[in-house]
Amino acid sequence: MRRSSNRKSSAAAGSGSTKAASKEFEKIDHLFNVYADKSSAIIDPEGIEQLCSSLEVDYTDVRILMLAWKMKAQKQGFFTLEEWRTGLKALRADSISKLKKALPELVKEVSRPTDFLDFYSYAFRYCLTEDKQKCIDIESACQLLSLVLGTQFGPQVDKFTEYLKSQSEYKVMNMDQWMGFYRFCNEIPFPSLENYDSDLAWPLILDNFVEWFRENQK
Amino acid sequence: MSGQSKKKPFKIEAYKHRVEVDPKYADRTWAVIEHAINEIYNHNASGLSFEELYRNAYNMVLYKFGERQYNGLVSTVTRHLRDMGKAIESAQGSFLDELNRKWSDHTKSMQMIRDVLMYMDRTYIPTNHKTPVYELGLNLWRDHIIHSAKIQTRLVDMLLEQIHRERMGEVINRGLMRSVTKMLTELGSSVYQEVFEKSFLDVSASFYSGESQQYIEVYNCSNYLRMAEKRINEEVERVSHYLDSKTEPKITAVVEKELVETHMHRLVHMENSGLIPMLVSNMYEDLNCMYNLFKRVPSGLNLIKDVMASHLKETGKQLVTDPDRLKDPVDFIQRLLDMREKYNEIITKSFHNDKAFQNALNASFEYFININNRSPEFISLFVDDALRKGVKGASDDDVDQVLDRVLVLFRYLQEKDVFEKYYKQHLAKRLLSAKSVSEEAERGMILKLKTECGYQFTSKLEGMFNDIKTSQDTMLGFYNSPYGNDMADMPAITVQILTTGSWPTQNINTCILPAEIVIVCEKFKAYYLGTHNGRRLTWQTNMGHADLKATFGKGQKHELNVSTYQMCVLMLFNSADRLTYREIEQATDIPGPDLKRCLQSLACVRGKNVLRKEPMSRDISEDDAFLFNDKFTSKLVKVKIGTVVAQKETEPEKMETRQRVEEDRKPQIEAAIVRVMKSRRVLDHNSIVTEVTNQLQARFLPNPVVIKKRIESLIEREFLERDKADRRLYRYMA
Repeated sequence: MRRSSNRKSSAAAGSGSTKAASKEFEKIDHLFNVYADKSSAIIDPEGIEQLCSSLEVDYTDVRILMLAWKMKAQKQGFFTLEEWRTGLKALRADSISKLKKALPELVKEVSRPTDFLDFYSYAFRYCLTEDKQKCIDIESACQLLSLVLGTQFGPQVDKFTEYLKSQSEYKVMNMDQWMGFYRFCNEIPFPSLENYDSDLAWPLILDNFVEWFRENQK
Repeated sequence: MSGQSKKKPFKIEAYKHRVEVDPKYADRTWAVIEHAINEIYNHNASGLSFEELYRNAYNMVLYKFGERQYNGLVSTVTRHLRDMGKAIESAQGSFLDELNRKWSDHTKSMQMIRDVLMYMDRTYIPTNHKTPVYELGLNLWRDHIIHSAKIQTRLVDMLLEQIHRERMGEVINRGLMRSVTKMLTELGSSVYQEVFEKSFLDVSASFYSGESQQYIEVYNCSNYLRMAEKRINEEVERVSHYLDSKTEPKITAVVEKELVETHMHRLVHMENSGLIPMLVSNMYEDLNCMYNLFKRVPSGLNLIKDVMASHLKETGKQLVTDPDRLKDPVDFIQRLLDMREKYNEIITKSFHNDKAFQNALNASFEYFININNRSPEFISLFVDDALRKGVKGASDDDVDQVLDRVLVLFRYLQEKDVFEKYYKQHLAKRLLSAKSVSEEAERGMILKLKTECGYQFTSKLEGMFNDIKTSQDTMLGFYNSPYGNDMADMPAITVQILTTGSWPTQNINTCILPAEIVIVCEKFKAYYLGTHNGRRLTWQTNMGHADLKATFGKGQKHELNVSTYQMCVLMLFNSADRLTYREIEQATDIPGPDLKRCLQSLACVRGKNVLRKEPMSRDISEDDAFLFNDKFTSKLVKVKIGTVVAQKETEPEKMETRQRVEEDRKPQIEAAIVRVMKSRRVLDHNSIVTEVTNQLQARFLPNPVVIKKRIESLIEREFLERDKADRRLYRYMA
């Protein structure tokens, strides 16, 4: 188990801050070890579950995803030490209570448009479990959409997921379509869909969605 | 002689002789002239001396009495004109005549007067900016005669009355009319126009308006058109005879408007005699008449063209969607060709080969030929039929002509790549069954297609021809080789080696061939692979044919010409009299649908039933049994049972072909997208669609939805990306 003391050698000047820094990491690392698997030195799904109950947040809550984003976690369901450090340092939390308090701030931060865009695309990438995978299956995509956009664009998400589940042409969704939907929510008024023009560069899946939606309106 | 005196310069003094101008001189002189004028007007000029009069007039001007003379002229002439006017007014039946005569008198008199007063005309008048004598005479006539209330109205009325009579068929005095109108023109074009022409045009307009209303109710279209033509010609002739030539365009415009333009639509759409019946019955002359007339009015020709085009589209659409017509593809195409020929004739004979009409014809054909998505297949079948049997009794040139006409239809196709697929299939069948009438005709057709569509289109077709030729050489080689030269007791084999990729082959499993055949096949294969290293041969058992010698019950011998599958089935009966469907299926491994078709042609067709089926039903079921038909008879020694003729595809086959076409299109669309993006780098969606469509339209019309899908696929594969700043644009990723 790596200790933050290894880091001391890299910091030449500002030893004072390093000391404080290493102290900070000390606590963070300690917290890490509470949840990490002893043999792999990584927090695995089980560990995350425990973390969630400590934070009194549901496993499927979007805030966990936000936390993962803050950590820039690469693999869904796992947090490495590096990632843990990145996230908690950015949140200035080194204990469960501080972490809990940091969550609302995090939510606010994510809702800022520029950050949200990053978070939104991150959410998609996070679900790509296999190495060369570029798409996620429709079921998962629907769930993810509700999770991530449900509060902000509820009606659109509901309708879109309804459509996705009813059609059989698309079995997976790719990044382009994912991002396209967010743009759609932002630019097209719902439910009027007034200025939607299928001759523009909207992904085909959205053209089909609009057509389906308009058909069902009648 | 004086002595010394001052020398005075020599001076010539002006002649100081004062001419005493007798105040009465002017009166006297003028009286002479006035008297002369009167005499002239009274037709009494012969007694006058020109020389004397001229001298007097000259003197008047010389002694500064020009003004007196001029004014006197005016009043004298005016006086005479007044008298003339009265005479004209009181004329009874011969008003115009009288007017004309007086005019004649007046002009003659004015000429004489002008001659007499010529000196004044040349000196006093210009200097004092007065109207010259003759012109003055005209103006006075105009003011006092023509513009006189009593005369003007009557004049115009008389003229118009005469014209009306002539229009109604009477003969009138054209010479007189000529003189009168000439008079008006001479008085000035504004006089002619104001006094006569305006009323003439107005009256003519109402005349023709009335006439057109009357005739449109009674006449049919052709008769009406001819009447209109006649009237226009009449008016032209009228103008040339007794009106000013400038009136011609104005009066023809009036007639055209009243007779033609007002009733244009009604004429064209007249039931039973309008444009469409004329087109249907090829009434060339009437159509020509209509064309010439309508050309004269704005939008006239457009009306004809549009009605013709929509009629064409309707008829064409009906033709291509009529289920009866679709049963016979060759007939279908023949009808289209006939239709095109018909309208070509009409446009040449009646519409002066007007380019706009040609274009309308082409646009209409393009519209409806593409409504039926089997058109490409049918055109190919038509060509197949022509190349197979030749056009009845036709020479090479005739066949050529027919193919040229078919090519015109081909040009209208939007889905040329579908045609290519079918043409390949049909050509393959023709080549393999050696059924073309003439290789020259085949090559000729391919050349035409090459000229139309480029090398790419036909390169594979040419490859097919080459394969056939090469195969012939290979066969010679085979029989001369050790593999092939001791085949005395074995079936004679002819192999066509097809290059995969050039031919429309399908992936099929080779069926189980009879043992005797297998031996021969293996021999050939060994020979071929011996001389061609690294190649792979696959027997296409669905495409061959065989000649079998068969002996029936009473010893009749026949030669059966059958397909490979049929051969496999029949050979089984060499060792069994009766076989069930399943046994045959197992023994030959022929795919189900093909086997059924094969058995049907062997057992259920009258005159070709070399097999008997139990039960004797029409359709093949998997529980049927088959027996060798001992009792088979035929008048012919050689019986043809093969089924390799190109036919209209069945529904499932059609779907399959269409699917393959769609699959083929995807890479073409992608290639086009990449080409466009490579050169443009960044482009918005609509522009890509437009450019790609332009690039591909020589082969087919790409579906915008499919284009979008391909773009997305390219994005996924990272050939393209969406522009980060403006998400409506696509960017090429180098």
